[in-house]
Parts: sequence; structure tokens; C-alpha cells
Amino acid sequence: MKKISLGIYRQDPSADRKGKIVKYHVPVEEGMVVLDAVRHVQENTDPTLAVRWNCKAARCGSCAAEINGVPKLMCKTRIEDIGDDITVEPMRSFTLVKDLVTDISPAWAVARSLPHFHPRQRSVHPFRIEEMDVERSQEFRKCIECMLCMDVCHVKREHNTSYVGPRYIVKAASLDMHPMDSLDRSKFLDREGGIGYCNVTKCCQAICPAHIRITENAIIPEKERAADLFYDPLMMLLKRLRKVKD
Amino acid sequence: MTAAKRRIVPEELSNPSWRVLSFIFLLLAAFVALLLFPVPEFKGYIDPFYSPLILLLPIPAMLRLTCYTFRRGYNRHVFQHPQACEAANRNDDRSRDYTGETTPLMKIENLHRYFVYGSLLILPFFFYDLFVSLTYGGGFILRAGSILMIVETALVTLYLLSCNSIRSLIGGRNDCFSCMHAPRARKGVYDLQSFFNSHHDNLAWLSLIFVVAVDLYIRALMAGWPIDFTLFKIVGI
Amino acid sequence: MVSCIRVSSDVLVLGAGGGGLRAAIESQSLGAKTIVVSKSVFGKAHTVMAEGGIAASLGDVDPKDSWEVHFSDTVREGVYIGDWRSAEILSKEAPERVYELEHYGALFDRTPEGKIMQRAFGAHTYRRLCHVGDKTGLEIIQTLKDMVLHLDIEVMDEVFITKIVVSGGRAVGAIGIRMRTGEVIVFSSKAVIVATGGCGRIYKTTSNSWESTGDGIALAFNAGAELKDMEMVQFHPTGMVYPPGVKGLLVTESVRGEGGMLFNSKGERFMRRYSPKRMELDARDVVARAVYAEIMAGRGTKHGGVYLDISYKGAAFIKKKLPGMYEQFKEFAGVDITKEKMEVAPTVHYHMGGISVNPEDCRTTVEGLFAAGEVTSGLHGANRLGGNSLADILVFGRRAGVGAASYSRSREGAASDIEASAIDAEMGRIAAMFSDSDGSNPYQLVNELRDNMAGNVGIIREEKGLRAALDSINSIKERAQRVRVAGNMVYNHALFGLLELQNMLIVSECVVLGALERKESRGAHTRSDYPSKDRSWKANIVCMNDNGKIALRKDEVRPMPADLLKIVGEEVY
Repeated sequence: MKKISLGIYRQDPSADRKGKIVKYHVPVEEGMVVLDAVRHVQENTDPTLAVRWNCKAARCGSCAAEINGVPKLMCKTRIEDIGDDITVEPMRSFTLVKDLVTDISPAWAVARSLPHFHPRQRSVHPFRIEEMDVERSQEFRKCIECMLCMDVCHVKREHNTSYVGPRYIVKAASLDMHPMDSLDRSKFLDREGGIGYCNVTKCCQAICPAHIRITENAIIPEKERAADLFYDPLMMLLKRLRKVKD
Repeated sequence: MTAAKRRIVPEELSNPSWRVLSFIFLLLAAFVALLLFPVPEFKGYIDPFYSPLILLLPIPAMLRLTCYTFRRGYNRHVFQHPQACEAANRNDDRSRDYTGETTPLMKIENLHRYFVYGSLLILPFFFYDLFVSLTYGGGFILRAGSILMIVETALVTLYLLSCNSIRSLIGGRNDCFSCMHAPRARKGVYDLQSFFNSHHDNLAWLSLIFVVAVDLYIRALMAGWPIDFTLFKIVGI
Repeated sequence: MVSCIRVSSDVLVLGAGGGGLRAAIESQSLGAKTIVVSKSVFGKAHTVMAEGGIAASLGDVDPKDSWEVHFSDTVREGVYIGDWRSAEILSKEAPERVYELEHYGALFDRTPEGKIMQRAFGAHTYRRLCHVGDKTGLEIIQTLKDMVLHLDIEVMDEVFITKIVVSGGRAVGAIGIRMRTGEVIVFSSKAVIVATGGCGRIYKTTSNSWESTGDGIALAFNAGAELKDMEMVQFHPTGMVYPPGVKGLLVTESVRGEGGMLFNSKGERFMRRYSPKRMELDARDVVARAVYAEIMAGRGTKHGGVYLDISYKGAAFIKKKLPGMYEQFKEFAGVDITKEKMEVAPTVHYHMGGISVNPEDCRTTVEGLFAAGEVTSGLHGANRLGGNSLADILVFGRRAGVGAASYSRSREGAASDIEASAIDAEMGRIAAMFSDSDGSNPYQLVNELRDNMAGNVGIIREEKGLRAALDSINSIKERAQRVRVAGNMVYNHALFGLLELQNMLIVSECVVLGALERKESRGAHTRSDYPSKDRSWKANIVCMNDNGKIALRKDEVRPMPADLLKIVGEEVY
């Protein structure tokens, strides 16, 4: 059976000051993904290897890691597509728990701070919503919260700013573009969410395993909405006039 | 990062690397060269940089500088925030200060739409220039240079109309199409624009290349290069 | 005493899938301080894998649909051993729960009139499944998660619960390990809701997530709760067969709901022979047996499946209605389902059995202990209809929340502290699992158990195989006691694997004992040595905890009131 060389980042922060890449040799069969190889090491070589996985079908987003330096889902990365010398490392934007496992729970605080769905006052019950109005929001609802976008984003990864990160702009956009929602979260994103830190370098969009066009369909539209509110004098004037009329 | 918030000019400009300096130098050099060696018109070809007036050049220049596509370009390759997505080639690190588009200077990116409006006013001149080149000599004439200009005009038009700010204006800012007048038509226009918008990056770069190509082509003609063959001609009516 | 973190609440919810989150939303809204605990990361629960939709008789597509028809479908396809009251509650309350979900922010696919789109599914009389493409579960979990976060419900994810603490006959809390830190956490609570989902991982080929190891069933059993219908394991007719890494991964029933057809290797649409009227859209047990029979008869594909074909519907339709399936096959198998056929075979999908609950408020047989969702039993009887599980978690999740909140209100003062002796005993049990000496690890035993269940307790069962399964379980159980793990408590998979193995063994044993006991074929339970349905088995098998041993009891199904019986009609033998 063919074998590949699999380097896995190993570190138990309670014991090791620095991590190291440990090389394993793993037999591969057709169609095998990186997660299979990592699990093979766990089941046969070192049962204490920490790796997080759950659905193994690219639907839960648990097994996010950096494979040969690129943020990817381990369960979705086929070994035959990336060659036989593979290195797997944990996501660098998050605090390491052990080996390949990081702590993504600080993100829930951001999620809590984001204004919740707030249906329009005069909506009928049950809602009447046209199919043409659900498409945009539904794209963002494909998000599996793997947090790879937060990992690859340089604002989160290399600079410690107040930026909420791509995941939560996608979340905000999914609510903002909900046809029944009455809020405009671009205000939150600009004032508290730090959307100005995004410099549209599109790494998040490039690596999104759910193929959400994060930058083009969520971040840029939210930036434009924020511009309407805070930067565009004409729009601000129009808004004020409309308010006066009401 | 409270200290960073007080910046007016981002760190990458106040403490520029050779990449930033050469980028600024190139921009200035190009502008000076355009001023010093003008070619407003030659044999029915009007140079896009001078149409209608070289003094208006800052508008399309700012259009492109504040365009989301070119922002991505210089943020990656000039400012290196980050240069690439994969871990090995990011060339971004924690020690560098980062303010993104939050400083007063960079907040100008939010006014992209005004440069779009300005450029929309200039756009008809591209069509006028094309018309002039096709009717050079009184009849209808199709020369190699005109073909270049047809492609250039088409690309510039598509680039401008596929803009993200326009996308927001014609429907992106609305949450509910069916709540407005003529929802199907509006959604149709929005979807069509979105289709071109998804190719905005390619259009941005190609249109820039073709504008420069037309300019260089005209300069080459002036230098006497025998490249402007005629494909088709109807003598003046 | 071992140092530990103490946490106190009115209601403790174990499990952060749809059922657990819906329960938490309800109990917190009713004023009970609620904590949600989950084994996996918050939002990764197996609910995200639910694809097809949620069954509710809105009648948005087929106006003739009503709760009565939904009720009748559920009871009939559960082959009359399901609890009629559960089915009645489900079919009556499901529409309300769907609309409520919409008000929480969920966004379903729409009909041309702007109502909720509903699709056809196996053995549902009308088009009934409200859906979001084929990612309905993801939408539900994200929506409920948002609600939980905005109701300020405390969530403790990646906590492995090892014990539900019972004191004076009442469930008073739980003990667990926070996986990320290795800390021991002691939860004291006035009421505990178990919503930990199913146990598909006891089988080798399953569509279930890693975490579906039946923990909640075992925890409740150890706490003294009664289990029911444990032999009823649903095989989904269509799971992926190739490549090996994704074997068992679900191919949603929506493929058939949207018009997908099954063919054997001879190109024959074999469902014509097995179910001429309903064809591919018969109940899951019928289709799964048919697929299995075709493969056994040598009419299977190279990789041991049959073909499922939707390509004739065209690329645009498939990408809109089945985007997940399109990607799944493209990325995992390199198959373009808009052009090619899929290869599919049955896969373990759902456990109809579980903790015995009262459908009114989801209380179990242990005071203070409630349960909701797949971990429970009763609603689905011998076979579950597609879409009924998502309805189940919302309807009964809410009821469990109401039940637990009002129970906790009835107990005055704060939750009482858990006795130190109980904590010490539990910590001692876990500490004894550690040793650096031998290289044994639980995975081999887990794999052995899963192979054993797949080989001996599959779609078609018989006495001999079941006996062998029981022997194997006993042997694994005995060896499991000697397994020791190395390392510490921080994210130690070997440790959690061993704890899970113990849970899986309890569940597996109940499944096998139930299957041995039920000497007939009914719904998902098929015995080759008792191939027909038997009137005397219109009953439920209950597993009781008799000092750690499993004792069985046969309970007659409680008779249906006349008005409901009129809707369903008598069972035919």
C-alpha cells in the first residue's frame, strides 16, 4: 500500500513551551482525505493526538486546520489532490488547546453582540416572502462556522483589532438582507464591528469551503451601506430629508 | 489599538517601504510623463488620457485608486497586508501597525461612489473618441487602432457599470425587491449587473491594460511605426 | 476531594442540537436559569446534517394536507407501536413550530405565492417538508443558536458529561469534563433535560456524526430511566458507498423526493417490484430492504450499491434544490450528479428507540429528568418518516423546556449542591482509567463493536447472529474494563473514546436484547426467522436498569381513542 508522509503539529501548552511538527507515515487508499490520515495516526499510533472532527461531510465545520499552510477542512481535502508530503497545523488565529485543536469559543461573544433578527412591525403572519428575496440571504446561511475565514484574515490573524471578522459580517449580511428584517447592521459594523479594518484582500472568499462570496456579496455591500450612513453626504442628506417628511 | 485609531495617515504610508515608494513614484512619473509628452490627438485617434481634458485625469485615477479591485491589488502587493493567503507567503506580521481603512486619509475609500459618478460623466467621451476614429476622413474607416479602441471602450464601460457602488445603488442596499415598484425588472437588472460584477476584477485590470495600450499605440504611430493598417473603408458620403 | 468547578442552574440541558437548544430557549424564556452543555463545539451538533426538511402540515403546496393526515401517516408508518399521543401532539404542533422558527429568523425556500415551499418525501401523503435547499438542519441550528445567544443562555461546549447525578430518586445535576481544559465540572440543577441525540456510531456504516454514540441513552439508563423500542434502528436506503472514507454518508431522501429514481446494475427500476404504487417514495424501511435485497441478489454495482439517478432533471434544478448533494458528490467522489448516476446503499441513520418519555412534558421515569429528540422513543414507533425528526426536536424540545421549567419552579430555593461523595466516586472511576503502562487504546474495541453490530444486527436479523452479537458485546465489555489511557484530561481522545465505548456498549446491548426479544418483523426490525408481523407484538419492549443489569418488560401499546382511531384505521395483519 502507498504511504504518505504526514507532518502533524504537536503541542500540549500545559507541558510544551514550543510545538513541533511530528512526521508520521500513513498508508493511503483511494479517495482518502487528510482527516482519515490524521485519524489513522490517532487510532493506531498515538491515541492522545488531539483533533476535532464531527460530521466528516463538510457540513459541521469542526475539522478546520492549515494544510500545507492553507486553511482548509481536513474532511474535504483529498490526499490525491495535494501530494504525498502533507503538513497539518492548527488555525493560528485562535488560542491553541492542544495539537490541532484551538479554542474558537471567544467568537460567541461577538455573535451575542451582533443585533439579532428583528422582524418588521407590520409583517403579516405567517410571513409572505418572495423567492426572489431569499436568494441573497440564503447564500450566507450556507456558512458552517468552520472559522477558516477568521483564520486566514490578516486583521484577525496578524493584527489585534476590534474587527468582528468575516464570519460575523456574513452573519450580519444574512440578517440585513433578510426581507423581513427591519434593522441595518452596517451601523453596528462600522461603529463597533470595525468593518473599516477590512481592506478587501479577499483571502476569506478564496478559502471559504462553503463557497460563499464573502467579500463581494457580504463585506462590500455592508461597506457600501455603511458609506450610505456615515460617509456619503448626499445620502445622509437624503436620509435626513426623508425623516423630516415622515 | 487606541493609538492606531488616532493616526491620520496609515503606518504603511507614514513609514513607507520601498514597495510603497516605488508605487507612488510610478504613479507620479506616469502623470508627469503624460503632462510633459502630450498626444491629445493623432490621425483621428484621441488619446484616452487626454479625453476630454488631461486635468480631469485625477477623477478616473481616483476611481481606480478607490476601486475595490485595485484596493485589493495594492493592499496585497504594495502594502503587504497580506501579500498572499497561505502561511508561507503572507509577509504580514504582528509587529506591524495596521489601521486598514479606518484612518481619515483612507476613509476616502468610502467615497468611491463619487469618483464613479464623475467617471460616468466622462464615459461618453470614450464613445465620442471612438466615433471620431471611425469617421476619420469623412466616411467610415476601420483601422487596427479603432479595433483596439472598440475593445477599450467596451471594457471601460463594463468595468465602470459593474462597479460595486453601482451594485449597491441599483438594489444592493435594498433588502426586499418585491416591496418595490417593478420588482421583476429591478431584480433582473440587479442580477445582470451582479453577473458582470462577479467579473469586476478581470474587467478592472483588462480595461486598464487597454487604456494604456491605446495610449501607447497612438504614441507608436506618432513615432512612425507602420502598424495602423486599414481593414475596411467607406469613402466619405 | 478532587478540585472541581461548580455550576448551578434551574435547568441543565445536555446536548446542543435542535432539541436541546429549543428546550433551552423555552425554559430560559419561562424564567428558569438555563445552561446548555454539549460534547461538540456549539453549533456543530448532528442536527446540521439534517438535509431534507421539516414535516409540518402547513398545506402551502398541497392545501388538502392537515394534521390528521400527518398524524395518520406517522402512526401507520410507525407500524402502530408508536405512541398515539406523541404523534397527535407532533402533527398538531409542528406548523406552529415552523412559523415560530421563521419569526426567529429562519429563511425557508418559497412557493410562487410567497408561502413556505414544501417537498414530497417518502410515505408522506402530501408534499409536506419545509426546507432550505438540502441544508435545512443547518438553518435550524443556526437560527436556534442565534436565539440562545441573544437570550443570554449560558453555553458550555466541549464538555463531556460522564454521569447524571441522582439523589433521593431525583435527577439533581451532572458531572462532566471540560475537554478544552481537562477541568471537572459539577452541575447542580433542579431539572435536567437530556437531548443528546442518537447512537448511529455503534454501527460501522452510518450517516451519523462522530458524536452520536448514544451517550444520553446510557446516562439516563445509568440514572435509572427506562428505555423503549431499543431494537428499532432505522437504515436509510441511500448512503454513499464510494470512496471508502465517506462510506455511509447520507444521500438525502430529497433526491428521491425531487424525482430521483433507483436502478440496479441491470438498469432495472427495481422499486416497481417492491412497491409499485409508491415506488422510490415508500417508507424508508421498505426502500432500504429493497436496496439491500437487490445488492444481496447480485444486482448491485461494483462498489456494492445501487444507482440513484436525478441527472435527467437538469443542472439548474439540481444545483438549486440539492446544492449540498451536488457538492458532496463532486468533492468527495468526483461524480457530477447533474450528468452521472450516484452509487448508494443503506446506512444506519436514526434510532427510533431511546428513553421512555411522557409526551405531555417529556418527563422520563426518573423525577426531574426530561428528554427530547432522537434520544427519546415513542413518537416514531417502528419506523420514522423523513422530516419527522426535525419536527420532533422542535415540538418536543419546546415541551421538554416547558416541563423542566415548571418542574424547577415547583422546587423552591436554589439547586442543592451535589454531595462530595458522588463527585469523588465519579472522579475515582475516571482516574482509574489512566495508566501509562500498556499501549492499549479504546479504538480497536470501538471498531470491533461497530463491525459486530453491522454484521450481526443489520437490516435483516436472525437469532444466531443476534446471539453472536451479544457474546461479542460481552467480550468487548470485559476487555474494555482493562483498557487504560495515557496522558492527561485535556482534549484526550483516548479517554473520551473509552467513556463513549462504555456508553455504546450499554446501548448496543439494549438494541440486541430488544431485537432478540421481538420475534416478528415490524417496520425497521426484520427477522429472517420471523418474517411476518405478529399481532401479539403490538407492544413495546422496555429496558429497565436492574442494578446495572438490563431487564426487559413487554408493554402493550396503549389503546388509541376512538376519534383518533377513526382517522388512522385499524392495523391490518
